[in-house]
Amino acid sequence: MTKTAGGIEVEGTVTECLRNATFKVELQNGHTVLAHISGKIRKNYIKILPFDRVLVEVSPYDLTRGRIRFRYRN
Amino acid sequence: MVDRLSCDEWHAVAGRELLGRGDASRRPDGRLFVSIDAWQGAVFDQLAAAMLADLPAPVHTVVDEADQDELAAWQRCGFTVARRESGYLVPTDPQRTGLGTVRPPAGVTVLPAGAAQEVPLTELVHAVRAEVEAAAGWHTMPAEILPSLTGYPVVDPARYAVARQGEAYLGLLRLGGPPGRNQPRIGLLAVRADQHRRGIARALLAQVLGEQHRGGRDSVWAEVDQANPAAVALFEGIGARRAATTLELVRG
Repeated sequence: MTKTAGGIEVEGTVTECLRNATFKVELQNGHTVLAHISGKIRKNYIKILPFDRVLVEVSPYDLTRGRIRFRYRN
Repeated sequence: MVDRLSCDEWHAVAGRELLGRGDASRRPDGRLFVSIDAWQGAVFDQLAAAMLADLPAPVHTVVDEADQDELAAWQRCGFTVARRESGYLVPTDPQRTGLGTVRPPAGVTVLPAGAAQEVPLTELVHAVRAEVEAAAGWHTMPAEILPSLTGYPVVDPARYAVARQGEAYLGLLRLGGPPGRNQPRIGLLAVRADQHRRGIARALLAQVLGEQHRGGRDSVWAEVDQANPAAVALFEGIGARRAATTLELVRG
């Protein structure tokens, strides 16, 4: 787990793609967050699918929400 | 306060706390795309104002159509929708696509990936690029149409199925995807302008989707410009399901 200025970054695995541009991500600590993808990922047309390992920045305002900042190569 | 860290990166900070990030980059076609990540709308607006003041117009961005909050944020900054592109899950099972009995038009054969000759394939790619540029323009296409350093795309025959008549190459389908991903992506499906409406695109899809089905993959991914009714009809006609829609926004 990494503390960043913008929030807390945690690795996780995408478990479900939801219809409203969000994803369920199970974090390494067992928690599940609803995450949307970062603008930079979207700008680069990187596609997120179930079972992808991702780096999530958890919102400092709502710990059940996050933003996918990076998709690891599986 | 918004700091410009480099020519393509901005941070919104309060004291030592980072509140949001902005990023800009140029696509190979020269267009400038920006993105902003912030948890609060007010921070988003401050970053956008700083970036737009620094950058030359026009500026583009992309958002998911379903993300109404982000879409509204960009629209507040003067961005308007320039293009809608949908991502489709395309089934491969001939029972679902209805392509099991589709054959190429008379005299046309479909070469599977890896069977095309590099020189005529490269010529076909160049011809298709020129035709698209003269009509809709490559700026209307997805980002992954990447030119090489020579100004032309790198052509790898292993990724292309090709429709051929005699010695002439008429159309192509490029299938690829990131390494390790089990869902291939149709990167390009194109037929020479004078060969449209012969069923060549369907024949290419029948060949490639059939191969994927036999290989155990039940779907592939494709992106389709919603302003291209022929492409929409082609994919929806074989049972492709719209999974997401991306909006390309522009501010002049």
